[in-house]
Amino acid sequence: MNTLRDARTLRGLTQADLATMVGVSRKTINTVENGIFVPSTVLSLRLARALDTSVEALFQLPESE
Amino acid sequence: MQTNSPVEIADRVSRKRAKGVALAAIAFVAIQAIIRPFFAADSGSTHQTTVDWWAVNAVVLLALLATGGGLLNTRNIRALVNDEVSHTHYRTAVVAGYWVAMTTAMGIYFVPRLEGVTARNAVYLIVTSSVVVALLVFSYLELRAHRDA
Repeated sequence: MNTLRDARTLRGLTQADLATMVGVSRKTINTVENGIFVPSTVLSLRLARALDTSVEALFQLPESE
Repeated sequence: MQTNSPVEIADRVSRKRAKGVALAAIAFVAIQAIIRPFFAADSGSTHQTTVDWWAVNAVVLLALLATGGGLLNTRNIRALVNDEVSHTHYRTAVVAGYWVAMTTAMGIYFVPRLEGVTARNAVYLIVTSSVVVALLVFSYLELRAHRDA
């Protein structure tokens, strides 16, 4: 589970903007937002820093876990 | 209008690569289906050159899968095209290719009808099936990643 799309749109950023800030491709941002891809710790930290938030605020374990 | 930021360029290159990889895999299979170089070579109806071209094509496709292609692009674009997601897709594709290779090898070993298959034909069947599946899986995963982007 993640709130990346919400956090990104809240800051008025496009997927391409965020991808540029983090140094990855747009498909990476897209797959993370769609829950297809679980990013590495490093990428999670980069995303959190780019969006000025914490990793915990962006990514959560599902209730069942 | 197309922009020329590295991310946008990488996006276009990646989409083209995903489609190109699938087309290359399909063309490779289609050519094999038409020419059947190894089995035909056994019956003496196909020249050795055809068999050699199969090997060249297989090596080129393996190199494409291993490097991610796009060697003419800048290092920055290549890094974006072959980022974390693509590396994951590459690993998944290679694993799929591995299991296809194992299944094909076991099939050749256990299926009585294939008992007389020569070592070269066995290699041909294993390499062709595993390379094609790996490429198609990679292409599918990449195209899925671009969906709704």
